[in-house]
This record gives sequence, structure tokens and C-alpha cells, in this order.
Amino acid sequence: MSLFNLLKPVLVLVFASTLLTACVSPTYVTKGTEFPGMYTEKPKSLLIMPPINLSTAADAKDYYSTTVEMPVAFHGYYTFPYELTAAVLKEQGIYDSELVYDIPLNKFQEYFGADAVLFTKIVKWDTSYAVVASNLTVSIEAEIKSTKTSEVLWSYTGTVVVDLSGNSGGGGLVGLLANAIVTAINTASADYTTYAKQANARFIYSVPVGPYHPQYLKDQNIKIIQQTK
Amino acid sequence: MKMKLVGLLGFTILLSGCAATQKPMYEYGDYSESFYALKRDAGDENTVKWKSSLENIITKSSEQSLRVPPGVYANLGFIHLKANDNNKAVEYFELEKKIYPEAEVFMNNLIKKANVQG
Repeated sequence: MSLFNLLKPVLVLVFASTLLTACVSPTYVTKGTEFPGMYTEKPKSLLIMPPINLSTAADAKDYYSTTVEMPVAFHGYYTFPYELTAAVLKEQGIYDSELVYDIPLNKFQEYFGADAVLFTKIVKWDTSYAVVASNLTVSIEAEIKSTKTSEVLWSYTGTVVVDLSGNSGGGGLVGLLANAIVTAINTASADYTTYAKQANARFIYSVPVGPYHPQYLKDQNIKIIQQTK
Repeated sequence: MKMKLVGLLGFTILLSGCAATQKPMYEYGDYSESFYALKRDAGDENTVKWKSSLENIITKSSEQSLRVPPGVYANLGFIHLKANDNNKAVEYFELEKKIYPEAEVFMNNLIKKANVQG
């Protein structure tokens, strides 16, 4: 019996408890205590900025940008039409949101009439090059900033890890190779936006709902998982 | 323990609250798919599809007596603006403003632009 086999049950146990702690330990806070600015400023309209892409996938920015409007609208906010606002911003030389992130945002109040701006940052968007890895991760950081004060009113991160291994093939090298091939196929055909939408759902739930939502200004006590920065 | 139970109960109520909603808030048709296709390849075919997808949303929304989702009229106005059909563009920008007062500032700026162009 090798050392690994001997240790296997221990490793499994350690791994399982890590998983369990990850599930059980989160601290819950309420939307009201975590994001009080959203309830005092009461933004009604959100201007969705072009995503800031920190991933290695160059096309992630365009693809991801198509997934943001709908869930934010369903959350009760007036969302400016992204296809149109992105074109207007581009005309103004703003193609990269990095350029405007630190400047006063009142310009967006003046031209668009936007109460607040939604910044999204693609932190991780695995590409099909990582074929041997059987996990695909999409991770998005998001922030709502006031156009009046340029202060951050809300921020949260949504991450999705997808197992693309296909669960086919047995152990051993042949199984590993087979899995790598399946992974490559799955990744190539994977519509990343599906996972991006899941990642979006994981941060949007924490946003206090907007004026078109029936729970508007009534969700202060809704509990969310506290995220540490 | 009790707190956890209460939390769980609250969560379940929330979940069922969502599931029990009878009417969706908006009808987005195949907005997501056609927008994605447009970003992947902004050729003629996908541009036409994008436009018809927006028009479909308006038809379907009115069939279900739903408010047209934010930005749909404005996006259509933008398509007409690009095609130099300024009257039609202004018409759509006005509609956006009418159902969403939040859009007024932006729509007025676009209407100004369309009028200068036309």
C-alpha cells in the first residue's frame, strides 16, 4: 500500500470538510446594513458601462456585455440600452471603462440622466486553450457608483466554476486523455454567456431592488452573504 | 439553530415568492440570443435579426399587456438613426421617453441629434 493510498481517506475527509466549511461558514448581513447608500440615494436608472476585461480572453468583453442588461432590468431598474450607450460612449472616446472609473461621474448624469453607473470587471473567463483543466471559471466583480457623488453604493462578486470533464472515461492515462478531449470539445462549443449569466445571478441578488420591482424599498432586511474585499 | 431555521424558512418563502409570480415582468423574446449573435458577427444577417427581435418584443409585450422592457424602443430608434430614417428614429425615442421618464435626458439628446442630422 502506497503512502497516498494510506492517506487517501484522510485527504478525502479534509477535502470534504473544506467543502462543508465553504458552505456553512458564510456570514450573513442584510442589504440595508451592507449597502445603505442604495436606500438613501434611491437610484432609479443604471448606465451599464463597457466591461473592464482583466481576463486573457479578448472576446470576453463583447460577449459578456450582452448578458448584463436583462437581469438588471428584471431587478427593477431602468437600464439604458447598452448597444446604443456603448456606441455613444465610443464616439466620446470612452471604449475602456478604466478611463472613467476614477473620474467624477456627473458627466453621465448630464448626458444620459443616469442616477448611477454599473461597472463590471471580468476577473476570470477561462478560454478553450486551457483544455487539460477540466474546470471553467467565470468571475465577475461589479460596482454601482453614484453619478452625484461618485461614491460606491454597492459592490459584489459573482463566480461560477463549471466542471467540464464530461464524467466519461475511467481512470488512468487513457481516461485522462479522453477527458481532455471531451473537455476541449465541450469548451469549444461552450456558450460562455450561459455561465456569465449564472455569475451575474450570483451578484445581482445582493443589489437592493429598483423602482419597477414590487419589493422596492422593502428589501432592507433581506439577508445576503457578506463578501470580504 | 433557531436563527438558521428562520433564515432557511425566509429563503424558501423568497424562492416560492419568485416561483409563484404569475406574470413575468417583461417579455424579452430572443433578445439575449440575437444580441450575442450581433456581437459575434455584426454582419447584415445578424443586424436584421437583431432588429426583428426588438420588434418582436414590442408585439409580444403588447399581446400580454406588459410594459416594453427598458431600452427596446431606444435601440430601435438607434437602428433607424443609423439608417438615416430620422423621423422614425425620433418616433421611437419619444416612445422610450413616454414609458420610461428616467430616459428623458438621454432621449432628448438623441432627438436633438436626429433633428440636426435630418
